Order: sequence, then structure tokens, then C-alpha cells
Amino acid sequence: MKPKTILYVEDNEFNRKIVRQLLAQTNYRLREATDGEMGIAAAQQEPPDLILMDVQLPKITGLEATRRLRSDPRTATIPIIVITSYALSGDAQKAKDAGATGYLAKPYSPRDLLARIREILPEQ
Amino acid sequence: MVRWVAGVRTSVYFKLLVAFLIVTALLLVMGAFSVHTVHSMSRQSELLDRTHQRVEWAQQIHHSLAMQMHLTAMALLVRDEAAIGSILRENNRFNEALARLELAVDDPDRAAIRRIRSGQEEAMAIVADIANLIRDGHFAEATKLHSSREDPLYRSIDSQVYQVVQRENAQMETLRRSLQEANQRSLIVMGAFAALSVLLALGGGFVISWALILPVHAAHAFLSDLAAGRFGASVTVANRDEFGELATQLSATSKELARLDAEQRRSAGDLAELNAKLQQASKAKSDFLANMSHELRTPLNAILGFTEMLKDGLYGPVAEDFREPLADIETNGKHLLHLINDVLDLSKIEAGRMELAVSEYSASEIVSTVRASLRSLADEKRLDFRAAVDDSLPEVMYGDAKRITQCLLNLASNALKFTRQGGVTIRAERHGDFVRYSVLDTGIGIPADQLEVLFTEFKQGDAAITREFGGTGLGLSITKKFVEMHGGRIWVESKLNEGSAFHFAIPLNAHIAAAA
Repeated sequence: MKPKTILYVEDNEFNRKIVRQLLAQTNYRLREATDGEMGIAAAQQEPPDLILMDVQLPKITGLEATRRLRSDPRTATIPIIVITSYALSGDAQKAKDAGATGYLAKPYSPRDLLARIREILPEQ
Repeated sequence: MVRWVAGVRTSVYFKLLVAFLIVTALLLVMGAFSVHTVHSMSRQSELLDRTHQRVEWAQQIHHSLAMQMHLTAMALLVRDEAAIGSILRENNRFNEALARLELAVDDPDRAAIRRIRSGQEEAMAIVADIANLIRDGHFAEATKLHSSREDPLYRSIDSQVYQVVQRENAQMETLRRSLQEANQRSLIVMGAFAALSVLLALGGGFVISWALILPVHAAHAFLSDLAAGRFGASVTVANRDEFGELATQLSATSKELARLDAEQRRSAGDLAELNAKLQQASKAKSDFLANMSHELRTPLNAILGFTEMLKDGLYGPVAEDFREPLADIETNGKHLLHLINDVLDLSKIEAGRMELAVSEYSASEIVSTVRASLRSLADEKRLDFRAAVDDSLPEVMYGDAKRITQCLLNLASNALKFTRQGGVTIRAERHGDFVRYSVLDTGIGIPADQLEVLFTEFKQGDAAITREFGGTGLGLSITKKFVEMHGGRIWVESKLNEGSAFHFAIPLNAHIAAAA
């Protein structure tokens, strides 16, 4: 069976490394993008099964990127988990308004992140 | 006229006094004139009385004379000399009246009276002769004497008396007329005086009133301008009295106000500018803190993430010796995260950018969340950790559940931190329209003198305690601010070495309280 693809849009190398190493133990296939524009381009080129979208990104914010993906028919139905490092009350609402499927606040526990991924996108 | 009176350089008091004195003087002159008139009229009427008296006497004389003639004729008719006696009596009356008249009349009449008297004396001598002739029975001679001498004499006397009467009558008439004229004249003069006084009083009153009212009107208009915030105008009045001084003072006040206003506007502008700068600076500070918080959290996320994956054996089995330092890295990383969160919260609260996300919540959910997240700590310290939620609390209340949880979590974790033995109890109870959350502990307690600074940023009861128990000193101050944002209050009761009780009460429906 073809492994499910996850696109992680995040500018910080170490955070990408965590997810890379976390998913290396699983059957998921990881693709990475380092800013909002690249994330959108990657998603449109080859739509993944799930997107992990950091909010604080260079060029286009994660929320704006989420909105754009939602308005594109090719990517409109892909589940998106938004990750923010501002623990502001109202952030969850903003993520939801932008069209996010789920919301996670930094710093997240890799264990919890994996649980959320498996919940939305079963591994097999 | 009004302007002239206003412009007279003297006090209002003096102006009023002068106006009053003018009217009073006029009244005094009128009074003096009327006294004089009354006096002269009474003298004239006295004269009139006397003239009247003289006329009466003269008439009496005239009457007596007629009686004498009549009595003589009677005596001749009845041929009885006794009738002559009556003539003598009448003669006495005649003389008496004549004497009085002589005393009362003026010189020209006095000569006439002397002539009348000598005529009368002569007539009396003739009457005596006639009486003798009647007594002796010579009636024919008596009648002859009467008609030839007495009768013409009496007639001549009578005509003289008549002349006196006429003169006195004429004099009386003159007097009466002059009295009437004087009366009329004085009436006219008094009326004129009265009219003049009234006119003068009215005119004076009008002029003085307007001389006082005009500056008051001017001041009123001027003060209305001042009240409307139009400073700097000056009030000009013709008055050079107290009102003039007042106007000068008002103008000076207005100028001073205009100066102060301009100054105030200038400094208000400066302040607004400064305020804008400060707000900008404050926003810059908040933005900086928010960015900083993000920048700190990103590497922290990596640190905590790698640590967790190490612990979870993602990189292979963990040697027993590594477990403790790994746990220490995680604990300290989480503590650092907590600090960052507190600083961020506080900066947002201070910048006024913290908003409550009010929604439905239930107290029992909050209490059980807090209890669940702290149970492991309580177990570790072997402390009794209980929670109780009042049944009378509504199922649904309104507030920011996340922040209320944060508050209760702060208090409960503090309580666990500062308690070495015994236990910690969390309670939620209803008190009227408020829900009161309480955290009771059997910890070290807080000295009375430190209770006050407890809720202030960066203050812990004692520096030594900070070293032993850790903590940022921000938790209570953040808790207090969240409670106040909910429209509630927080307080503490504590006894050294016996324990503390922290309470906070917030409205059951916080958004209603916030809207009110």
C-alpha cells in the first residue's frame, strides 16, 4: 500500500528535524516546505494527505496559506493542522476561521503531535 | 444721558445718593412753599374775618339808627315820653358798636366815624328836646322838631353809615378775591412741583437704573462668551464707577484665561504627542515581547521535542544514568516555558491587549482539569489533594474558561508547592451572584506584613522562599488581573505555619458584569 503523504510547512530547521525523525519511525512519507509560498506550491503540485502548517512563516503566514489552499479546489479538502507559537486566546478561533482542521500550540509534545496525526489520518 | 451718568467718575453709592437728594430737595422746597402759602392764606382769612366783623358792626349801627328813628316816631305817635327811654338804650348799643368799629377801621373811615358820632350826639340832644316837649304836652312842636331836625339828621347819619358799610363790603370783596387767587396760584404751583418731582424721580430712576443695567448686560454677554470657552475678549462699558472697575477686572481675567487656555492647549498637545509616543513605545514593547516569546518558544520547542523523543526511546534505548538528567532538562524546559508564558500574558495585560474569550463553562470541569493536572505532583509529595464543587452552582456559567483554569491552577500549584505535609483542598461555591473558588492548604503560611505585596509583580513573600520553592512571582499578579477582568476580586487569609486560604470570586455570568 502506498504510504500517506504529510506536508510540513515550517521555517525552523530543528523543528523540521524533530518531525522528520518522529515520522521516520512510521509509515508516513514526509515532504517539507520552508515558507508559505513554497508550501502552497508544493501542495498544489502534488496534493498531500495531510498538511502541518506553522503560523509564523516568512513571506505568507500559515493562516493566509491555509485560506488560499482552502479556496483552491485541488487542495480544498486536505486536512490541515495549524501550529502556532503565540499561545493567544483566540488563536484557535483564527485557525478555525482560516479553515484549519485542527490546532496545536507550540511547544507541542512530539508524542501528542503523532497522536493527532494518527487521529486525523490513520497510518494504514 | 445714561452714558453721561455712567461715565461720571464716582461711586455708584454716590450717584444714587445724589439722585435721591435731588428728589428730596425738591420735596423740601415744595413743603416750604406750602407752609408759606398756608401761612399767608390764614393771615388773609383772618383779615377777611375782621372785615366781616366790621361789616357786621356797621350793619348793627345802621339797624340801631333805624330803630332810633322808628322809636322816636312811635313816641310821637303814642305821645308817651317813656318810649324815648328805649331810644336811649338803643343809643347805648349804637355807641358801643361805633366804638368797636372805630378801633377796627383804618384812618379814612375813622374820620367818617367821628362825624357819625358827633351827628349822633347832636341827634341825642334833639331826642332829649323832643322827650321834654312830649312830657310837657307840646306835641305839635315835638313833631315839628322831629320832622325838621331829627329826621334829616338821622338820614344824613344813615347815609354816612351806609358809606362805611359800602366801603367795608368792598374791602371784604377785594380780600375774598385775592384769597381765592392766592388759593388757585398755590394749587398750580404745588401741582407743578408734584409733577416735577415725579418726573425727576422717574427720570433719575430710569437713567441710574440703565446706567447700572447696561454694564450688567455687557458683563452677562461677556461671561456667556467665557462660559462657552471664548476667552480673550474684553468687556467695554461707559461706567467709571464700581462697574467700570469690575469690567476692567473681567477683561483682565479673560485675558489671563486666554493665556492659560493657550498654555493648556499647548501642553495638552505636548501631552497628546507624548502620549502617542508612549503608546507607540508601549506597543513596541508588547510587540517586542510577543516576538521574543515566539523566538524563545521556537528553540524551546526543539529542546523539549528532542528531549521527549530521547526519553521515548526514539533514538534507541536510554541508559539508566541518562534518565534523570533527561527528566531535569524536561522539567527546566517546561519551567522556562511557563516563565515565557507568564511574561507574555503580563505584557499583554499591561498593553491592554488581553481580551477575555467569554463562553459557557462549568465549574466542575475547571476543578477537575486542575485536579487532574496537579494530581501527580500531589502524589509525589504525598499530600492529601481534594476537590469539592457546590451543588447549587449553575450547570452553565459564563467566563473565560481557559483563564479561570489558569488562575485556579496557579493558586493550587502554589499551595502544593508551599505545603510539606497535610493537604490541599480546592472548592467552588456559590455566594449570591458570584462563584467563589478557594484553595486551602496546610502549608508554611504567609506573615501578615507580606500579605499586601503578595499580588504585586515580581514579589514573593520572601527571597529565601523563592530559592527553596522556585516560581516566577508573576503567577499571583496575573491571577489577580484575570480575576479583575472578570469583574471579581481575590483575597487571602493566612496564618504562619498553619496554612493559607486563597479565594477569588467572579460573577456567575462574567460577560454581563463586564458589559454593565
